[in-house]
Amino acid sequence: MSIDLRCYGDDIQAVADMIPDFDLRSPMDVESWYPREWQAIADTLGFAQQLAAAPRAMPTTPDRMQAMALVGLMAFEQALRAGRPGVTENQARVQSAVIQVMTATGLERGELWRAVVDPTTLATGACYAEGGRSLRAFYPDTAPGYFGDGWAGPPPRAESACGWQTPLVLHLGTFPWVYSSRLGDVGPGVRWASPASQPALEGLHVVASLMEPATNLRQDARQVAAIYRHFATHTAPLVAALPSFQPGQAEAGRLYRRGRFLLAHQGSLHVAALDGPRGRLAASAYNYILRRFASFFAVRRAALRGLATLPAEVQRRAATSADPCLRQQAAEVARAS
Amino acid sequence: MNRGIWITLGATASIGGALLFSRRASAASPATPGTTEQTPPTIDLAPLPRAADVSGDLVRNWGETPVDLRPLFMLAEETSRIVGMARVLAVIAYRESRFVTTAQNGNAAAEQDERDSSRDAYKNRKDSNPPLRFGELAAEFGSGGLFGALAPYFLWTGVPEVKDKAPLLNAPPSLVFQPRAAAFGAAVYMQRLLKQYRIDDISDIKVGWANPGLLGKGRGGETYLSVRKRFLEDAQTVGIDLTDVVTIPTKLDASAWPGVPAVFAGLVGALPKELV
Repeated sequence: MSIDLRCYGDDIQAVADMIPDFDLRSPMDVESWYPREWQAIADTLGFAQQLAAAPRAMPTTPDRMQAMALVGLMAFEQALRAGRPGVTENQARVQSAVIQVMTATGLERGELWRAVVDPTTLATGACYAEGGRSLRAFYPDTAPGYFGDGWAGPPPRAESACGWQTPLVLHLGTFPWVYSSRLGDVGPGVRWASPASQPALEGLHVVASLMEPATNLRQDARQVAAIYRHFATHTAPLVAALPSFQPGQAEAGRLYRRGRFLLAHQGSLHVAALDGPRGRLAASAYNYILRRFASFFAVRRAALRGLATLPAEVQRRAATSADPCLRQQAAEVARAS
Repeated sequence: MNRGIWITLGATASIGGALLFSRRASAASPATPGTTEQTPPTIDLAPLPRAADVSGDLVRNWGETPVDLRPLFMLAEETSRIVGMARVLAVIAYRESRFVTTAQNGNAAAEQDERDSSRDAYKNRKDSNPPLRFGELAAEFGSGGLFGALAPYFLWTGVPEVKDKAPLLNAPPSLVFQPRAAAFGAAVYMQRLLKQYRIDDISDIKVGWANPGLLGKGRGGETYLSVRKRFLEDAQTVGIDLTDVVTIPTKLDASAWPGVPAVFAGLVGALPKELV
């Protein structure tokens, strides 16, 4: 049977098509698709050397997808340790604890891509101590931005020790660009590292897990589709204003469209940017974010195609998902197999 | 931006130019200064190097240097065999271009002084250096590229070392916008500073970049001190620790410099044959 993603909207099938399709049941496809995705992640986040130096086979797991995720995360961790700490030990510890809670509840709710929590319900309050003051461990990302029109409420149930007036929202699916704004050339999440704690690693772990069929299928794709649509709506006019890249005719330093992605000819994608009403968006961030959406839907399509070969528990979850599209597709797969 | 940048390149280039005086008369260049120049061709060098193209570390002590420019700086270091060059170039590029490869001073109405500098550079050196095919364009160009090079001096890069075999003599000044070519010019200039001037520490390199005269008579003066101070501030802003001896030795050493042709080959490769 043919699997398509039009249940989420006609545009979503095209999102998956931005990167190569693959078949989970084909070891050759898996062997080429996952390293390519990790290479793209490493190129943007700056750990390509560590990834290249990492062993390709993990003796602890025969699963190629899991092995590649472990390799990628290990390489990222090495780069984090070699770089300069971006946050204090106290902040990093709180960030780690908060991300762990948000990841667990996000996974349970099918809302791992964009996780939302009332910070006052957390043990730490999403606050950390510094110089006798209590500070927010994350940026309160509630203004209209590229991922949404703002997050007004509900306000925290209790009074926050560090001044939270809004929910804590993290777009973990596009880690390290976790906020709807602040989409500069360095994702804010990359700075989440101290000498002893690497909350950034937990952030990238979410990205990795969304590339694994079991976790991908637990994520409500309607949430991802809605965020993608918002991102596309606010970036499309900016991208449309760019010239299309023509090899041999390009001007040095200029930003071009190449397919759906951006290309800074003889220049830095990290320096080039789109400037729009929702703020500045680094070209490197744009490409990375777009690719995360593409990757999510490409894995979703591959997971549906290979659903019958996935563990029974994964199939059962798909069949009983809150996402009606997924339920319908799972039922079709079950009938066909 | 720095209007005096690379003044020394012209000064030292004149040495090469003097040696080449008779050779220049019979040069096969299709256009000589003062004649009508051709329309510059479009040149597209290889894209920016990637992480796989270098072996040096791209994570430690780079601060906010754009991730996709780090391999270029590192390739310049590895090709030049000047350990520590990469991060120093990053700090210089921050000051000169804010990492914009096509930064230019001289293309705006208010940048007359920069055009004056490039015009003077060309006028003062054209008789003692090999001819530039696009000399008049270079004279009007001002400065530009990642490292803020004055166009005529950029095109004369390598003249003191290899005389009329200098690789950019037939290239248009807009070549400075191609990051590999800009890095080549910067690498040659840095080795010359290290070999021919008194460079006491890393900050002195930036002083020489601004004006090598400051490394001699100007040493210790107000401008010398202010350039050093600004360089240290730039390093702090970018987040590069100049005292991290693992990545930047206390003194850079150009004794293993492999020569202009090797550095050109390693960084730029080859120009289109019509420019050779």
